[in-house]
Order: sequence, then structure tokens, then C-alpha cells
Amino acid sequence: MTITEHAYLLAAIPAGMFLLLALLGRYLPRGGDYLGVLATGTSFGLMIAVVANYVQNRGGLGGAFQHGLEAQEFPAWTNSIEWSTVGDFVLRMGIYVDPITVLMLGVITTVALMVNIFSIGYMKGEPRYYWFFAVLQLFVASMLMLVLADNLLLLLISWELVGVCSFLLIGFYWEKRSATEAAKKAFITTRVGDVGLFIGVVLLGKAAGTFNIQDVIHAAQEGHIGSTYLFVSMMFLFLGAMGKSAQVPFHVWLPDAMEGPTPVSALIHAATMVVAGVYLTARMLPAFEVAGDMMLIITLVGLVTALLTGFIALAQTDIKKVLAYSTVGQLGFMFVALGSGAPEAAMFHLMTHAFFKALLFLGSGSVIHATHHHQEMDELGGLWKKMPITATTFLIGSLALAGVFPLAGFWSKDEILHSTLDWGGGWAFILLAFAAVLTAFYTTRLFVRTFLGKPKDQHIYEHTHESSFVMTGPLLFLCLLAIVSGFVVFQDVGKAIGFPGGITEFIFVEHPHVFHIDWALAGTSIAIGVIGIFSAGWMYWGGSTVRSTKLAEWQPGLYDMITNKFYFDEMYQYGIDRGLLGFSFIVSWFDRYVVNDTGVDGSAQITKYSGSVLKYAQTGKVPNYAMGVAIGVITLAVVGLAVRG
Amino acid sequence: MDYDEAQGYVVLSTLCMPLLAALIILFIPGSKKMAIRYVSLIAATAMLGLSIYIFTAYQVAGAGIQMELQWPWVENVGFLGEDGITLHLGVDGISALLVLLNGIVSFAATIVSWKIDFRPKDFFILFWVLVGGVYGTFFSFDLFFWFFFYELAVVPLYLLIGVWGSTRKEYGAMKLTLMLVGGSVLIWIGIFAVFHEANIGTFSLPALYEAAENGAFSTNFQRTFFPFFVVGCGVLAALWPFHTWSPDGHMSAPTAVSMVHAGVLMKLGAFGIIRLGIQLLPEGAAFWMPGLMVLGVIGAVYGATAALTQRDFKLISGYSSVSHMGYVIMGLATMNDVGVTGAVLQMFSHGVMTALVFLLIGALYDQAHTRDLKDYGGIAKIMPAWVVFYTVAGLANVGLPGLSGFTAEFHIFVGTFHSYPLFGGLAIFAAALAAGYMLRMFSIVFFGPTNPRWADLKDLRPLEAMGAVTLLAAIVLMGVWWAPFTDRVAATVTHLPGVIGIA
Repeated sequence: MTITEHAYLLAAIPAGMFLLLALLGRYLPRGGDYLGVLATGTSFGLMIAVVANYVQNRGGLGGAFQHGLEAQEFPAWTNSIEWSTVGDFVLRMGIYVDPITVLMLGVITTVALMVNIFSIGYMKGEPRYYWFFAVLQLFVASMLMLVLADNLLLLLISWELVGVCSFLLIGFYWEKRSATEAAKKAFITTRVGDVGLFIGVVLLGKAAGTFNIQDVIHAAQEGHIGSTYLFVSMMFLFLGAMGKSAQVPFHVWLPDAMEGPTPVSALIHAATMVVAGVYLTARMLPAFEVAGDMMLIITLVGLVTALLTGFIALAQTDIKKVLAYSTVGQLGFMFVALGSGAPEAAMFHLMTHAFFKALLFLGSGSVIHATHHHQEMDELGGLWKKMPITATTFLIGSLALAGVFPLAGFWSKDEILHSTLDWGGGWAFILLAFAAVLTAFYTTRLFVRTFLGKPKDQHIYEHTHESSFVMTGPLLFLCLLAIVSGFVVFQDVGKAIGFPGGITEFIFVEHPHVFHIDWALAGTSIAIGVIGIFSAGWMYWGGSTVRSTKLAEWQPGLYDMITNKFYFDEMYQYGIDRGLLGFSFIVSWFDRYVVNDTGVDGSAQITKYSGSVLKYAQTGKVPNYAMGVAIGVITLAVVGLAVRG
Repeated sequence: MDYDEAQGYVVLSTLCMPLLAALIILFIPGSKKMAIRYVSLIAATAMLGLSIYIFTAYQVAGAGIQMELQWPWVENVGFLGEDGITLHLGVDGISALLVLLNGIVSFAATIVSWKIDFRPKDFFILFWVLVGGVYGTFFSFDLFFWFFFYELAVVPLYLLIGVWGSTRKEYGAMKLTLMLVGGSVLIWIGIFAVFHEANIGTFSLPALYEAAENGAFSTNFQRTFFPFFVVGCGVLAALWPFHTWSPDGHMSAPTAVSMVHAGVLMKLGAFGIIRLGIQLLPEGAAFWMPGLMVLGVIGAVYGATAALTQRDFKLISGYSSVSHMGYVIMGLATMNDVGVTGAVLQMFSHGVMTALVFLLIGALYDQAHTRDLKDYGGIAKIMPAWVVFYTVAGLANVGLPGLSGFTAEFHIFVGTFHSYPLFGGLAIFAAALAAGYMLRMFSIVFFGPTNPRWADLKDLRPLEAMGAVTLLAAIVLMGVWWAPFTDRVAATVTHLPGVIGIA
């Protein structure tokens, strides 16, 4: 027995804490926030134990090879129990721990712990304080279950649970109409993708005869599933991934989701839940590879998303919205890597991105908290002097996002760009590089306009102060990770912490990929960052918007498209109002006036009418009745004779 | 008296309990309202306990009919032969679950009816007769008594809605009763056709099943008479297009009746399709099931679509019931073990969650006297517990994992995708629409700025909360740990004639 076999405890502890806090939280001093930290802290500690156990035992020790995989250096632990049976239809629930899982566990527990601590400061004095921490625990539990699941059914269950937590937390300030609407939009948009996932899971389960992920992949690889069938089911599965990871055309919900408290944006809408789609695609990648043109589709979706949201982010003025579009774009980068057959690059970027994007969100949370809920760049500026720690960490996070050497983002973005070249898509490389320039540009714009130059609103500026240590502490820790987490790509660093070959070999075991620095590419990457940063710096230096206004006036049509986010929301709203709700009105009308009034009330009317006509036969006069009897007798006699012949 | 026989008496006492309660209340003067309420509460609690016992005591390994009790009533008279009409009680895996459903829902309905002040005596007498009828239908393994109890359950509805209801109650009550009686006529014809065709002079269901197995019913006969059972029972199960009594009936009915009606009575219809349709006429079922699948899919999507733009709480629930019963019909129509099991789970799941929804609507309507969504806003501030319960029930409705709706729908869709993948793909969009109509209602009613008009609404009272917790427990239990439910249902479903297994 090892801790890895019982990794479900990581999820069970926060789940139990959710129950405790939801039921009793309001009676506890300080809403039980310390219990929340305790639960995620315990999960964090267990994660360390799992990682330690994992790297100790690699090389075939204690690995339970259920599925006949060949012995490999990084074994997978499985542990499952029978859950229910209907005839021959058996459902099992269990966990599966392999390198991808371990990486996800690390990311989730780390960011969750930081966010829990940060929230103590950020959410202080908010109504329903205990409820916030309760739902946070439920989220962490579901998210951990999602990456631990050894079968598609459990994955689907956790998938929807994280969606509900997201719904509850986006709508946390439900007195505000906008928050409620955003929560609704997020839930329904991802739900459309989830329906796709549901169909995909059921179809794959039917074809493979089991929901076990490894068995399904095995069946797909061995060709036990027809090619068209496999393509269709993987496409449906990918719809789920697109919805959760907010890829075009499902991206509309994520920017609106910024209505939620900022720690939630950091945890759910930057570091963990939104990467579930990337995780799922990476997990199922061997099946995607054999499913027709799926890999190309994944690449295209990622590319379009990275470019489109890169443009939109250029013109956003809300700090959090810039970060939200940036998140969507970075997820697009990961999908490009996946589509290029480089899951190790995608997962590596997932990890570094989780750290520096969580840092940026928490940093923006620190700003928002300090300025009493002002998050428009047009009202801020010059905050560097007031909040040095926040500004410094934010700067480092921004540089990491822009891909500046030698911060974490540089290495992982480099790997992704490299993967597109390996895959042989020169055009993909160029487009992606352009998206990277956009990233560097809007990130710089964000930093310059928020922290540098002169304050735009003196009143807000004067009331601003640096946040307390409970908030800056997590910033500093994440800042450290944003600097160093990229180095795990090196073999020597990997060897020191237990996986020789570095992270990229650790993550993907089937095609070991060992990192070698490619100076030409690294030079290009550096150039990309420099171009983006300097052009943005030149344009916005000192908080001036003169140059940017000129740029906007140069191409008003394009500027209009960008500020209106390419009119996606408008198109959807039109479709819902005119299409879906119109159809609903027609159905309701049909139900009321055709099915009910014709079919039901109509038959009642006929009965009533026949009654009112027939009642005239009931005259009450004996001669009339006698006449009736006589006519009847004669008719019967005639008919009788006629029939007799 | 051995163990099995003793258990037969447990079933008998469960059946007699509501009828006994009705009888006792009959002799209590109408002015002694508290006495009436306490008798009802005691009876309801006893029934809940007995139902739980029956559910847990059902032996999965044994499958088949258990806890039997047979009392001959009429035999060897005229056209009736050996075992002509017998009071033959018992449970199989399917009815064990539905009996539990009836126990839970009628318990919750009883405690929310505590506040009924207008002629509680008559109300409770009719109510207990209805509940007794439902138990009788689930327990009976004799066609004569099956139909007798079925009618016993349907008839009191007219008075309960017509007298204690609201919003066009006479119209709703009349429409519902006429449509259900119309359905009963079809069932009656079907029953006599089966009795005559089998020609063994008995109404005993096991005997008739055996006859069916031995080919007593020709293919043509089965194909002709299967629709009688399906349409007859389908009316009560809100089978599209015979569903229109459902939105109006729910709108008019008083809280407790809505709960029992949507929660349990509608399931009698689906139960009848299994007991009479599938079990007696499997070849007819095989022939007609594709058509039934079409109706189920239409019902599922149609109900969800219509619910999207409704403005009355109860109409939303009414149409969503049409949608969810559409899933039940789909599950039955798959004719494979997973799909049919899912259908039975959905009967239970829809029963408890709809009962909870109607309980909550009643708690609000009794204070506010309006059910128009647009009148509300920000209720979460005033009635937090109410909102929490409603959210959970609503999310169960949407099919959220961890709650009963998911368990049922998952099995139904696995079954449907196995037999009719395209219909599965069509129907599943009802699940996306469900999120739409549910969240739209949440957003309008629960959230946003609080309308000061409702500042003095009271949250759930202790009794209502007790009922809500009972229902909620069932929803969560089935959502998280569904093996006890699937085991029992599957034990019977896998042995149904014509139902195939999927690997």
C-alpha cells in the first residue's frame, strides 16, 4: 500500500470540509476560513507525498499494470472498486495516477492553497464569507477528482461538478444582475459543450464496452472502433473540452465570468477548471491521434482562439478582462501544442501558465481590493509607488506571460513553438508567433497603464495602499514559481527533483522527448517578446493614449470589430432570442391552441354541441315518442327483410 | 407462520395503512382538526417506515416476486376458473423502488398539508384513499385488483383538485379526470381482451405471464392490443400528445396533491406500461417500441422547449414533467436492460425531485399568492433555505451528477444510444434546454435586487423543512450511491420478456 494508491484522499478531504463548512460554517468564528486553508493545505501536503512516492517508485516498482501496457519507466497506479451493475453493464469507479495526473495534482493543490490564503484577506467582510470557502472546497475536491478519475464516467461527473461550483462562485455577488447573468451564461455555454462530452463518453463507452480511459484508448489504438464512429465520438468529446476551456466559439462565457470574486478567477478561470479541456485532450491524445483529422481540428481551434482573443485583448480596458482574454488565448496555445502531437509542451505550458496567471489574477485582486473595487485601467495608473510588492510581482508575472527569458513562460512557450515546427506546420508557427507578439503587447499595455505613469484618478490613487501579508505572501510564492518553474525543463534540474530527462520526458512516456535548447528558436522567441513589449511600451509610455488613439483612427472598421469582440455575443443573443425562444413560443402556442384547444377542448365542444342538438329530440310529448318508436320499428323491419333477402 | 408469509403480511399492512387511516378519520368529527392531522402523521410515518423496510428487505439475489400473499376471492364461478380473482400481493424489484417512492412522497405531502384548514377531514380521507390506491397498484399481481386500485387512485383526484385547488381548478380537474378515465377505458378493454384470449379463466398476472410465454397470445393479437395499454397508461404518464392535462392539472392542484400526483401517480402510468404492456405482450412491445421512442423523444424536447418561456412556476414544472416523463418513455422503448432500468430510476428520481419542487412552490404561493416569475426577484435574501432546496431540486432536474437525475438519465441515454443512437442524440438537447429554463427561473426569482414587496415572506417552516429534507436525502442518495437502487431494479428488469442485455 502506498499513498499513491490512496490519492483519492486528496479529493476526499476538501469534500468533507465542504459539508462541514456548508452546514456549520456560519456558526464558526471567522466562517471557518482556517478550516478551508487546513483542508487544501492537507491536500497540498498529500500531493507532496504522492509526488515523492511517485518518483521513488518509478522504474516498475509496485506498478499495477492492469491493461497489459509494456513495462515503462513511469508506471501508473490504479485502484478501483465496482460501483454498480445492470446485467452485464458494470460501472467501476477508481483512480489512475500517471505523470499527467501527478502534474495536475501539483498545479491544483498549489494554486488552491495560495488562493485559499489570499481569500482570507480579499474576502474579509464580504457577506456569505463562510459560503465562499465552502464552495471553494467543493471545487477543489471536484477538480482533483477530475484529474484522478480512471474512467470517463467519473470524469464526466467531476466535470459537471466543477461547472456548478464555477456557476455558484461567478454568481457569488448575486444581488448584482450582471453577476447572475454571467453565471447563467457560463453554465449554459459550458453545458452545451458538456452535452457533447456526454454523447462522446456514451459513444466511446458503447464501442469499447467499458468507460475505463486506458481501455478506451487501447480499443481506439487497436482499431476496435470504426474510424468514422471514432471520429464522431472524439469530436463530441472535444466539444466538451472546447466548452470548458472556452475555445472559439465557446469563448464568450469566460470574460463575463470575471464578475466572480477575483480569487475565484485566479483559481477556476485561469489555473484549474478552464484547463480541464486541455487535460482531457492530453489524456485522450492517443485516441485523438487515430481519429481521422481530429489533430488538425484541435490545432485550428487553438490557433483561431489564440489569434482572435489576442486581438480582442488589445482593446479591453478592464484589468480582469484583459487577463481573461489572455487566458483564453494561452489555452489556445496549449491546444495548438496538443494538435501538433506535443502533449508534453501543452502540459508544461499548462503548469507555468497556471502559476503566472494565478499570480496575475491575484495581483489584480490585490489592486482591486486596494482601490476599493476599481478595475478599469482608465481610472488607475501610477500604482507602483503605492503598492511595490504587488507591482513587482505583477511585473514578473507579466514578463513571464510575455515570454521573457528566463522566466517560466519563456520555456514553455518556446516548447510550443518548437512543437509546431516539428509537426511541420510553418504557417502554424508564423501565426502562433504573431499571437505571441500580441500577448507581449497587451501584457505590457496592461502593466504600463496600471502601475506606471501618472494616476488618472487622484481620489482613487490617494486611498490606495499595499495589501496585507496574507495577500502579498501568496503573491510572492507564486512569483517565485513564475520565475523558477520553467527550469524543470532541464535534465539536470529534473534529475535533482526526481525525474531525469526533465519535465517533458516525465510527462509523456510513450514518445520520450528530451529538451535540448535550440538557439535559433530561442532567439526568435526572445525577439517576439522584445517586439511586443517595446511596441506597447512605446505606445503607452507615461500613460499617454495619444498614439493608441491614432492607431484606432487609422483603421476604424477593424478597431470597431475588436472593441465589439467580433460581435460574438450579439450573434448568439440574436440566435437565442429569434431562434430558440421564438421556437419555444411557437411550441407553447401550439400546445395551448392546437393540442389542447382542438384536441381536448375541441372534443369537449363537439360533445357539448351534439348534446345541445340532440336535446331537442327530448320533447316530453308522448305522440313524438310514439312516432319515433313507429319509425324505428318500420326501419328495423325493412332492414331485417332486406338482409334476409 | 414462516418468514416469507410474515413478509406478505408486512405488504398487506402497508396497503391497509392508508385505507385504515381514511377509515379512522371518517369517524373523527370534522371539527377536531388536530386529531385528524395527528392520525395522518402517524399513518404517514408508519408507511414511510414500512416502505423503507420493503425496499431494503427485497432480496436482490432472489429476483422475481417476493413477500407474496395470496387470498383467493372468487373462483370457479361462471367464466372464472381456478384462482379466478385473487388478492395476490407482493413486490418485485421495480415495484419495491416505487413503493419506497410512494412512502417518501406521501410522508412529505402529509406534513406539508398540516396547514390545510378548509375541511381537513374530507381532504385527508380522499388523500389516503388515493395513496392506498397507489400502493395497491404497485402491490397487486392480479389484473382485477390492479385495475381496481388504479381507479381508486385516479378518482379522488377530481375532488381533491376541484375543491382544494386554485387557478381554473374546475377546468383543470374536469380535463384531468376525463382524460384519465378515457385512458382507463382503453386499459379495461385491453384487460378483457387479454383475459379472453388467454382463456384460462384467471386474472392472476403470474399465470397470464406464463401463458404469454407459452404463446397464448398470437403476434397479431399482441400488436393490436399493446397500443391499448400504452395509450391507456400513457395518458397518466403524460405521454405526448396525451399530456395536456399535466400542465393545467398541476397548475390547479393543491400542494400535497401536486406532489403525490406528479411524484407518484404519473409513475403509475409508466409502471402500467411495464406490467401490462411489456410483461403481457412482449411481441407487441417489440413491434411498437420504435414508435414509442419517437413519442418519448418528442415529449422530452417538446416539454423542455415549452418550459423555456413559461412565466408560471407550476407551468414550468408541468412542462418539465412532460419532458422528464419523455425520458422515461424513451428508456422503456429501448427494450434493453440498461435503458429500462434507467426508466425506472427516472420514475423515482423525477418523483422525489418534482415533489420537492411542488412543496417549495406551495410554501411560496401560500404566502405570496402569485406564481408569476416576473413578480419576484432577490428571494435568496429573504428565504435562503427555500432557495437552497429549490436550487438542489432544480439542478437534479437539469441532470447534475451527484443528484438522482443524472443517475437515471445516464442509464437511459446509455440504453438509448445503444439501441437508437440518433434519437439519443436528438433527445439529449433537452438536457441543455433544461439548464436553460431552470437557470432562467433561478436568475429571475432567486437573484438580483430584492423586491421590497416580499420583505416579510417567511422562510420554510420546520414541518416544510422536514418534508424537504426527506425528499432531498432521497435525491442525494440516489445520485451518489446508486447501487442499492440499480441492483433491485435490474434484478427484475433483466428478466423481463423481450428485454435484451447490453455488454
